Amino acid sequence: MDRRYFLCLVGASGFGFPALVGCRGHQVGQVMTDDKKDLVGNTAAGAETYKPLIDDALGKLLGRQYAGVQPAAVPAPAVKRICFVGVENKSSEELGDFKEQITEIIDTRINTSQVFAQISRKYTEAGLREARMRPDELFLPANQRKFLAIMEAQGQPFDYLLFATVTSGTTRGHNQTQKDYLLTLELVDIQTGTPDKESASLRKGYYKSHKPW
Amino acid sequence: MVRLLAVSCVALAALVLGLGCTTHADRLHEIRSEYHAGNVEAARTKIDAAIPKSRREADVLKLDRAMVLLAEGKPREAEAILREVRDRFDEKEGKDLAEGALSMLADDQQLAYAGEDYEKVLIRFMLAISNLLADGSDATAYALQVNQKQQQIIESSRSLSADGKNLKESYKLVPAGAYLHAALREETHTNFDDVARSLELVAKWKPDFGPIKHDLQRAKTGRHSQPGHGVVYVFTLVGRGPFKEEKQEIATSAALLIADRLIFAMGKQSLPPTLAPIKVPRVVRPTNAVAQVVVGVNGRVTGQTETITDVGQMAVEQCEAVFPETLARAVVRRAVKKSMIYGAKEATGVDKSMMSSLAFNAVGVLWEATESADTRCWGLLPDKIQVLRLELPAGEHQLTLQPVSKTGSFIGGAEPVRVQVQDGRNSYVLANFPDAKLTGRITTNRPAK
Repeated sequence: MDRRYFLCLVGASGFGFPALVGCRGHQVGQVMTDDKKDLVGNTAAGAETYKPLIDDALGKLLGRQYAGVQPAAVPAPAVKRICFVGVENKSSEELGDFKEQITEIIDTRINTSQVFAQISRKYTEAGLREARMRPDELFLPANQRKFLAIMEAQGQPFDYLLFATVTSGTTRGHNQTQKDYLLTLELVDIQTGTPDKESASLRKGYYKSHKPW
Repeated sequence: MVRLLAVSCVALAALVLGLGCTTHADRLHEIRSEYHAGNVEAARTKIDAAIPKSRREADVLKLDRAMVLLAEGKPREAEAILREVRDRFDEKEGKDLAEGALSMLADDQQLAYAGEDYEKVLIRFMLAISNLLADGSDATAYALQVNQKQQQIIESSRSLSADGKNLKESYKLVPAGAYLHAALREETHTNFDDVARSLELVAKWKPDFGPIKHDLQRAKTGRHSQPGHGVVYVFTLVGRGPFKEEKQEIATSAALLIADRLIFAMGKQSLPPTLAPIKVPRVVRPTNAVAQVVVGVNGRVTGQTETITDVGQMAVEQCEAVFPETLARAVVRRAVKKSMIYGAKEATGVDKSMMSSLAFNAVGVLWEATESADTRCWGLLPDKIQVLRLELPAGEHQLTLQPVSKTGSFIGGAEPVRVQVQDGRNSYVLANFPDAKLTGRITTNRPAK
């Protein structure tokens, strides 16, 4: 052991004793009302990033589809069924427990759109399990047909496949980092194979602050 | 008269504060012996008897209780206890003024025990395993918590090396949590990106984990299992795990004794000589006979478990990393005690040539001798956590688990368990082999009907 380092430690333990023992804090929780802003992640993206990304990308995508399926003076069309395959994370950060949250938010937004309805995730997972297909394999028309047949057999036919991808781009500056987060939604018409793509982006800067909070 | 009263008061205080004569290591010894010999019931009885007697050790004893429950095939009860201790460890993180002051007058056993860093992480892994063996509804959350806790421990560390580097950055991380997360995400058949990401962490933290290359390839281009097949994860807790023992710091004690004598020669008062050695906890890693566990399926050997987390090595390395702090606290404690005796002599006007000065010194020596090292630890952890992934056709299978030595020779009997394998699903099996003999029973979340 380094003698000088050890002596410093002893000194710190002795003279800095009151500071060292300090006070044990208590974990506190509180309900955040709707008017309160989301916390901003200081090292990675969180609610402050993903919620607006979903709102933006999904709003634009569904809006465009809505305009496409409801011409003027025509009775409202039947609800189109979307099979949401899942979120693929290609960013440099792990989504952790946020991934399921993103999936659920997209699920809810689609179901409340009144133009589209989403197939339950349970059916989608069961279908993929039965087909033993990876989500990325569904881009092949033959696989799409096979998967559609399985879903129809389950009583869950669908009109569109929806894929979501999260990506990030990092720019490093002097003592700070900028990250651009991009959420891309890809809607594939299962009948025609026509894809429709929409994305939303958000930039975040990370740096060390010396301001007390 | 005043001096006599002062000496008596200091002596009484020293006795009252000398609370730590019996260490946790003494109590743990018998519990470990019973558990490792396969006497689960006897181990449980001893733990249950010790918990009400030793409030400060209750949490670590409860962790041992959870291990016994897991070995007995009661994962739900084990999970409840593990969750309770996890929350209490979280509450106890950070320092408390009153406890800190008391620990300076007695020993580190007066500090609330918030768990060693490796214990805080492994609680979450054991929670995940316990939950998987029950209904599995919270297993993904626990598996994620393993990594989150590791990250939090490193980021919030104030332990710095001589050159200002975070000592905890060198910690070996627990890949078992990431591995479990990968297994759970793979079972969804929709989150292969998560699987690959978690397995990449395993590859980074445990590059010598044999199957990782194949696992990563499967996550990137393959599938969970072929149609009509399922997967069985056999987790084994192998070997007798690490524990803490009280050790004497001879070099530091000798240095303090020389310092005492110098002050005696030059100072107005004498100091109690450092006759009682400074005691510190050191992690001991027993030598283990079991190296791996060979798994047979329906009478045919299909593989052997591989180490996914080396608990013993991690415990030794982590305790070594923070050892300078432990030793520094012990030295400061001695200084505090000596200065209090010195102050008492000054206050009562004792001269170093007087008999009462000797009496004060005797009290000081007694006070220092009552110190014990803080040997509290999770005593029934295994030395290694191992795993084997098997892809099997859906249906019932008879698995046998048999421990082998480092040379590959069988050192215990083959223990059977019947497991149900479901198409496209995971089944989990857990067994304890602290020695050649199975402790408790083999538990699975899908027992054969």
